[in-house]
Amino acid sequence: MTSTAVTTDRSVRLTGVTKTFGEGDAAVHALRGIDLEIASGELVVVLGPSGSGKTTMCNIIGGIESATAGGVTIAGEDISDRRPAQLAGFRRDHVGFIFQFFNLIPTLTARENVEIILALTGKSDGRSVDELLEAVGLADRADSFPAQLSGGQQQRVAVARALATDPDILLADEPTGALDLPTGRQILGLLQQLNREGRTVVIVTHNSSVARIAHRVVTVVDGAIESAEVNPAPADAADVTW
Amino acid sequence: MRVTTRKSLRDLRRSRAQVVAVAVTILLGVMIFVATAGAFENLTASYHHTYERLALPTYIATGGDVAAVASAADDAGAAATGTRAQYDPPMLIAGTKLLGRVVGMPAGDQPELGAIDVTEGSYLSAGATDEAVVETHAASTFGLAPGDTLQVYAADGWHEVTVVGVAVSAEYIWPARSRQDAVSDPHSFAVLYLPEDTVNAWFGPDNQALVAMPDRLTASSDNAVTRAMDDAGATAIQAWEDMPSQATLNEDLDGFDEMSKAFPALFLTAAGVASYVMLSRRILMERPIIATLMAGGARRGRVLRMYLLQGLMIGTLGGVVGVLLGALANGAVTSAYTSALGVPDTIVENYPWMIASGVVFGVLVGLLGALFPALAASRTEPAAAMHAAAPLRPPGPWSRLVARLRWMPVPARMALRDIGRSPRRTIATMLGAVLSMVLVLASVGIMTTMVHALETQYDVIDNQDASVAVSGGTDAAALEAVDGVDAVEATVVGQVTARADGTGYATVLRGFRTDTEMHTFLLEDGTTTTLPASGILAGVGLADVLDVEVGDQLTLVTEAGDTTVTLEGLLAEPMGTYLYAAEDVARGALPDGTVASYDVLFADGVDRDTMREDITALDGVVAYEDSKALLTTVQQYLGLFWAFIGVMIALGGVLALAVMYVTLAVNVVERTGELATLRAAGVPVRKVAGTISTENVVATALGLPFGLVAGTIAAAGFLSTFSSDLFTFELWWSWWVPWLAAAGVLVASALSRIPAARAVRRVDVARVVRERAV
Ligand SMILES: Nc1ncnc2c1ncn2[C@@H]1O[C@H](COP(=O)(O)OP(=O)(O)O)[C@@H](O)[C@H]1O
Ligand SMILES: [Mg+2]
Repeated sequence: MTSTAVTTDRSVRLTGVTKTFGEGDAAVHALRGIDLEIASGELVVVLGPSGSGKTTMCNIIGGIESATAGGVTIAGEDISDRRPAQLAGFRRDHVGFIFQFFNLIPTLTARENVEIILALTGKSDGRSVDELLEAVGLADRADSFPAQLSGGQQQRVAVARALATDPDILLADEPTGALDLPTGRQILGLLQQLNREGRTVVIVTHNSSVARIAHRVVTVVDGAIESAEVNPAPADAADVTW
Repeated sequence: MRVTTRKSLRDLRRSRAQVVAVAVTILLGVMIFVATAGAFENLTASYHHTYERLALPTYIATGGDVAAVASAADDAGAAATGTRAQYDPPMLIAGTKLLGRVVGMPAGDQPELGAIDVTEGSYLSAGATDEAVVETHAASTFGLAPGDTLQVYAADGWHEVTVVGVAVSAEYIWPARSRQDAVSDPHSFAVLYLPEDTVNAWFGPDNQALVAMPDRLTASSDNAVTRAMDDAGATAIQAWEDMPSQATLNEDLDGFDEMSKAFPALFLTAAGVASYVMLSRRILMERPIIATLMAGGARRGRVLRMYLLQGLMIGTLGGVVGVLLGALANGAVTSAYTSALGVPDTIVENYPWMIASGVVFGVLVGLLGALFPALAASRTEPAAAMHAAAPLRPPGPWSRLVARLRWMPVPARMALRDIGRSPRRTIATMLGAVLSMVLVLASVGIMTTMVHALETQYDVIDNQDASVAVSGGTDAAALEAVDGVDAVEATVVGQVTARADGTGYATVLRGFRTDTEMHTFLLEDGTTTTLPASGILAGVGLADVLDVEVGDQLTLVTEAGDTTVTLEGLLAEPMGTYLYAAEDVARGALPDGTVASYDVLFADGVDRDTMREDITALDGVVAYEDSKALLTTVQQYLGLFWAFIGVMIALGGVLALAVMYVTLAVNVVERTGELATLRAAGVPVRKVAGTISTENVVATALGLPFGLVAGTIAAAGFLSTFSSDLFTFELWWSWWVPWLAAAGVLVASALSRIPAARAVRRVDVARVVRERAV
């Protein structure tokens, strides 16, 4: 993609980020001081057991949840003090989300699921809907409804939808969680390819096999980063197995 | 507290806004019911109290030897009887000449039947000859108070009488000379109570027999007493319900009664639908939980009861609060009404049956709204617990069709498809639109029809500017000579009873030149006709009252005897049911009068007060009625109706908004996942809310055609309850009225964008996203 200019800031910087749900005795400390820097164009896999705070971290990076304390600078924008309601513009310009259960609109065809984002965000400077579907390998199923698509195909539509706003950073929370091995592998391949085109990609998962494609693996345990290790030789998604 | 009760309470608290919207609609329905049904009962009771207190006769008979008629009634079992003299002579009050009415009363003592309530000054003193008590409406129209004097015209000239008191009469709560004059220029009528000896001396003998039945307010057209009166020679017997004031007030009460049932029914229907939609949604969401309970051995009956309980709670809440507010409003509505109409007695009571049925209606609506969802819940298969989320349903033909409309923007395509996605929700929204249209169109339709009817009556049918009664001295030429008078025609006016096959109808016969300019004879099909040289034309009301049709023979009964005429045509006249004949035909049927009548047309732009002064100043002019003053009076009176319409339109809006709010809230709940996804992608709240309100607007638009039809039928139905021989109303509105109503309802539905935005903003994107992951 030609718009991938080297000058674009696609980095993530979290400094001393904490997140507490509830108050007093009922308070849950989901994040207890996260310091993390992700460089432009990096592919990071966040690993950790269920309930460790992965999703919370991912949501804070994506601006759908705000940190209780700490600094959050995404793609050069400091969003620490913005409330979630004020973050729609930020998300539209910088991030794309991919969810475990796809969250497609069942009444819309694959094409329309992508189109609706363009129509409602008013963004049309990116690639055309057909190009986006082509990019995720679904050009031939553009007019199918979600119910007529397999899980993997639905997740491809979700990826195309995330790409519709031409995001700098792709956030995928358990993208393979609802898929079988071969399909999951294809989706990882897709994410890897998008990363190679220059986007920063963060994949959140409890599946350690996925970590093999990462440039760097961040392990979260009980709301804190336990380790952040550079993967000297990231594997090709096609070679991953679990 | 039982655990199911606790769950129900908690569930209701969780969807507070929806519960409130449903409860408010129930509340409004119950409140309107209790207030208006109660006010109806209270008004009836108030009237009856006055009728009893002032000894309103059950029957007033005229014709024949009235003393003989009264004693025949007495012999046949009447509780009380009497006779009195009543005449309609010209009067001169505060410089205004008019055709008034004098009623003879025993001086010193109130009569046994037909008493009056003296509110100012005193009753006629014993032995008085030239004292008068003025009926309260005339007193206020002419500003009369005890001590004032006025002139009454008898065969031997003008007589002066002194006002000693002002009184309320059960016969003139609504002041009208006859049934045909229910709406008239207030300056053209006044009732005076004079000593009976004076009336007999100036005008003539007693000419009315008054009869009270043992059960005063139970009148029937055929019983021993009325038969005896008939046999004794009475030509017309008017039962109390048919007396001008009572008939007019009853029309009004009947309309009130209809509305006190119809409007609450609308609200309760809407509330039932809204609660149905809300609970259906909740149960759909809780299917896995219900299934788990079932798998664990929960009894169907218990599950059913658990959900019915929620409906019961909402219904009870709405019912009880509605009854409380309704009971408060009841007194206010009753008092406002009695004081607006000058009903002397106001009885305000909250009837136990009314309170009970208000609560029962609330509870029933809540239960009925919950019944089907609860039944569905109790039929949940335990296996449903195994599927975490309902699997995606393949798209139907409708979705596939809309998908092909590529020229259409995607958000519009989405809205169109969502219409078919949840038929329940769509139908509920449509129903909200239909009910609102009914409420608005029925109220507006009544209003525009009445205005149109008045304009037809006074601008199209009655062309004369004034009607003048002259007793010698002035003729048509003299009237024509008055500055500002364009044309003058001699007319004939008199009371007749039209009879056919044993039934009679007392009305007014009016005679005109066959080429008259003063009256337009409008037929039902909108065309006009001219007076036949022989035979009569009559208002359509006559066809119903006497069961006759064009071509039938009628007998016109007057003091001068019987005349047989052919009914040559039926006229569509909104006000009253008059008979019309050529001047000589009318003159032949009516007794010779001492007073001549003329209709007068004015030149354009004359000052009507000056005309009144100039014409009444003429020698021999004894009464003057400004025909256009009626329109002004009536339009003032209709001010009350405008207020009513305003309230109904506001309620229609509340109804529309409440139903839409519930369907919309349910819509948001149902599509939380989608909405959260859109917002995660950076779509602004405003746009997300737009997709929901677009769906609402489309569903509303779908409901509008049904609303137009139902609203038109409802409006026509209401009007037919107002129609009788007194008023004939055919639904009429300008072409743009239904469109405006539809546009109003659409705008209301577009306003759903505001609560939609609120609901969308409240969706916790992060939580939804997390709940959807595992
Ligand atoms: N809205 C919330 N309210 C209270 N606790 C929450 C909320 N969201 C998440 N948590 C808690 O925060 C912790 C981290 O959750 P999450 O980030 O979803 O973990 P992961 O994605 O690693 O499974 C968990 O203990 C979870 O129960
Ligand atoms: Mg998670």
